[in-house]
Amino acid sequence: MKKKIGFAAAMTLVGLAILSTRYYEVDLPVWHFLGGGKGPDPATLHLRGEFVESNLGAAEDSAGSLTVRMIAQQFVFVPQCIVVPAGVPVHFRITSADAVHMLSFLGTNYDLKALPGAVTEATFTFAKPGEFKIPCHEFCGAGHYAMRGQLEVVSRDQFSSLLPGERRTCEQR
Amino acid sequence: MSNDNHTARPRRGVRWLGVTVLLLGTPLVLSGGDSPPQPSGSEPPIRVPSNVAWTEETLTIISNGDAFRGLLMARRCNHCHGEEGFSSVPVFPNLAGEDRLSFWKQMQDFRSGKRTSPVMQGVADGLSARDSADLAAYYSMLPTASDPQDTRAFPQAMQDSSRASIAIRLIVFGDGQRGIPPCQSCHGPVAYVKGAPPLATQNGSYLQQQLDHFANGSRTNDINVRMRSIARQLTAEEKTAVSEYYGAGFGPGVNPR
Repeated sequence: MKKKIGFAAAMTLVGLAILSTRYYEVDLPVWHFLGGGKGPDPATLHLRGEFVESNLGAAEDSAGSLTVRMIAQQFVFVPQCIVVPAGVPVHFRITSADAVHMLSFLGTNYDLKALPGAVTEATFTFAKPGEFKIPCHEFCGAGHYAMRGQLEVVSRDQFSSLLPGERRTCEQR
Repeated sequence: MSNDNHTARPRRGVRWLGVTVLLLGTPLVLSGGDSPPQPSGSEPPIRVPSNVAWTEETLTIISNGDAFRGLLMARRCNHCHGEEGFSSVPVFPNLAGEDRLSFWKQMQDFRSGKRTSPVMQGVADGLSARDSADLAAYYSMLPTASDPQDTRAFPQAMQDSSRASIAIRLIVFGDGQRGIPPCQSCHGPVAYVKGAPPLATQNGSYLQQQLDHFANGSRTNDINVRMRSIARQLTAEEKTAVSEYYGAGFGPGVNPR
């Protein structure tokens, strides 16, 4: 009896450990129901909502925290190159316009799954400046192997604070 | 003994219930219950690339296109785009075998001014959504086989055939280092993405012009910045190579359908 309880407790701890590190990756239908099915419609991302093309990239909200919005689609990430400051928690909000994609930040421990009809959120902190490739890590179609974004981590001084309403990507820098 | 078992059973059940609740509940607590996005200080003005979205209604309108009605209306297109959908001027696009969705989308974008062209905006103003669907149905049915009696400009020899290897690499493999997907993974014949036209029988000069427009931002009607992010990364030589290669009729998928 005690053995069984011990086993159950151990399994619980293991389950908790897995979930607490990877909770944002768990894709159960329950999640979508609990979220009220409020995810963006993949077909109309460009018409309304937070993923219109003028709202993509790094943005600063009134509290001063940094949010990066991206779309993953066959077979490019938009924006293809993102720039964030080092040592600052960066909040990612990502959705997909068609298939399931995954951003794998090469050289770090981070990766993010992009699902059509749902927003994937996570907060990452990149310690040092550098350039990271972001290949798609979930087979998404014929051009999957050439689907690759880029992340540029710059020092905090180089990344001057954003103006209200400004959205920053590498192209404008 | 039997009493013990009797009391132990419900307790064990309660424990397992607790474990399950804990397992399912933890991620919810950690994720903070899917909070809505915080509205930032001020939103930038919304830029919509195209009013067309691939919703069920749109797809229904397009698939209901009547090819015969399109045939009657296509007489006004013949002057520039050729009687068989192959134009005699290389800067005008060929329409034979054009994808229905991309044809319809471009017509709507000309009408709404999302894509600019001095000629086509005037023409598209006079066409309803249904007219465009009919024309799309007609042009998608035209054969792409060559016709010696026609005055088409289509297969034009490459000016520099040494560029062919650059074109083949981009069309078949893309460039993973820069994140450029292969052309054939969206424009066929390997796979088609909604709104991506087949390129196998397209005029090279037209392709070159459109790639330049995507790259320098004078054409911005691609949904979710797809072609703009790709064209921006291509060098001038690569754009020329790909356009000339397709324009010479070497592109994959030339065989008539």
